[in-house]
Amino acid sequence: MSNELTDAIVGMREDEALAMVARDLDAGVAPIVVLDQAKEAMTELGRRFECSEAFIPELIMGGEIMKGISELVKPHLQAADGESARRGVVVIGTVAGDIHDIGKDVVVLMLDVNGYEVHDLGVDVPAARFVEAIGEFSPQVVGLSGLLTLAFDSMKATIDAISAAGLRDRVKIMVGGAPADQQVQDYTGADGWGSDVSAALNLSSRWTGERS
Amino acid sequence: MSALTGEELYRRREQRFNDIVALKKPDRVPVIPLVAHYFPTMVKGVSNRDAGYDHELRLRCLREATVEFGWDMLPATGLFGSDGYEALGSLQLRWPGGDLPDDTSFQFVEGEYLKADEYEQFLADPSGTTLGTIFPHIAGKLEGLGMVPPLYWLSNMYYLQGVGGGLLAAPPVRAALQALLDLGDAAAAGAAADAVHGQQATTLGYPRTWVAPVIPAFDVVSDTFRSLRGSTLDMYRHPEELLRTIDLMQVPTIALAVQAAQLFGNPRVFIPMHRGAGGFMSDEQFERFYWPTFKGLIEILVEQGLTPMPLFEGDYTPRLKYLAELPAGAVAGHFDKVDRKKFKEILGDRMCFWGNVAPSLLCTGTPQQVKDDVKELVDLFGDTGALILDSGLGVPDEARPENMLALREAADEYGVF
Repeated sequence: MSNELTDAIVGMREDEALAMVARDLDAGVAPIVVLDQAKEAMTELGRRFECSEAFIPELIMGGEIMKGISELVKPHLQAADGESARRGVVVIGTVAGDIHDIGKDVVVLMLDVNGYEVHDLGVDVPAARFVEAIGEFSPQVVGLSGLLTLAFDSMKATIDAISAAGLRDRVKIMVGGAPADQQVQDYTGADGWGSDVSAALNLSSRWTGERS
Repeated sequence: MSALTGEELYRRREQRFNDIVALKKPDRVPVIPLVAHYFPTMVKGVSNRDAGYDHELRLRCLREATVEFGWDMLPATGLFGSDGYEALGSLQLRWPGGDLPDDTSFQFVEGEYLKADEYEQFLADPSGTTLGTIFPHIAGKLEGLGMVPPLYWLSNMYYLQGVGGGLLAAPPVRAALQALLDLGDAAAAGAAADAVHGQQATTLGYPRTWVAPVIPAFDVVSDTFRSLRGSTLDMYRHPEELLRTIDLMQVPTIALAVQAAQLFGNPRVFIPMHRGAGGFMSDEQFERFYWPTFKGLIEILVEQGLTPMPLFEGDYTPRLKYLAELPAGAVAGHFDKVDRKKFKEILGDRMCFWGNVAPSLLCTGTPQQVKDDVKELVDLFGDTGALILDSGLGVPDEARPENMLALREAADEYGVF
């Protein structure tokens, strides 16, 4: 196999990528090899996004092609194949009072294809649910998302609740969304902030690397 | 100032705004919030729920905030009455006192209200598809309209009485028609309160920023029909259908903008923009899918003697080169997160600069930080005076009142030429 599959995904040639996967699987190529090549393509799209060579449409379309490939590969997978090592655990959600999910969903997609175990708590997530999820999943990273300005206080309340539960030292917390900035990080007491998917990937990588 | 009548103040304020848009140096820097959703009611202790339902109270708080915080024009409330949402059983916009708690903001729910495989149906019959497919998707109480066949099926007396009459006897259709009448009642009540509000503001000497918004054709399709996910996948899977739908929606976009300006006697047309921002698409995609209809809209509005007020939401720094193609001295560009120095460099002699004070600063910062930010803006734009102060997105609901006062104080301190 060459990098043809990676190239087809990065080039957004969906039909070609899916046909290639079907052909390779029929020819006996190990499913895990196919999946690795597809993930390599998503990593490349993430890299391009960071340097403004790819944009949200490419991340979403890339994710869609990945989904199609996973469907084709699934019947060929052995039980053990799915258990590849994860880079770290991330708990993420849109904070209480805010029901927006578009930005969060793109971050979840990219964290997932970049090898993180992601627990998406959804939208309008109460502080207590974040606290509970930290106990349940032992994440290294917690992501608090929000689009509305009311989210600033919800983020702060969530971080306060995590502190009150004695869990603050166990996690790094990032606040994200269109209105996030250093001011919001300082106000909420988070460890980092981001207004796009690159920031979420960089922070997660840095924080899980520090702890592994 | 105190000697001026309301009429004189009105004229002076409107002239100052017009001068800034036309790139003529004004006497001073004004503070003009583009929109003020819940801030005016929140500072008076009114719940967001009550703000949505009580039109008179909401508008009175807005007038009072305009005076108390020293704004130079009357911002739009930016809220539709919640009685209208309730009449329709809105699913696309959720509201406090509906199924959202009393103190949250109204919120938009993106979804694929038009599916990818419904494009052809929509393009062939936009009105019928809107009535029978989109309305039931966005409003729970309009579900019965899904039963209505294309109207041309009823285009003679036999079919109108037979088929049409039968439909009008059906309870789900009657319920949907009643919901539309209830919307009309709610809108009439809102319009009556708004007419009084506008009159009182005029007497006090405050022109309104804008009355009716118009959404760019791409954003209509992406935000309200197909969602971000749907419309971006369409760029790859259904680009021709996407483009044809954008072109189709350009027709009502222009007509609504021009007609609303005439109806309300307000030449300022607010244009909220979402998906054209940096990061949301490449330059190539922007040139193909977003820019042509947006630029066309602006050009037509300017030709009609109107003042477009686009809100460039998100980071427009990567798009500034395109904005240089718009008519100079004719567009009141309002910016959210743009690099202000790059704006000055690229567009300083073509477009005034409005907004860009970070919502986070107004919500969580100190008055001194706000003043420092205003000083930086005045230092940058003071040479031409092509500057209007506001947050990046209008007054944030949770802005600290002392920070909003600081915005006014800083304008007086640094912005008098």
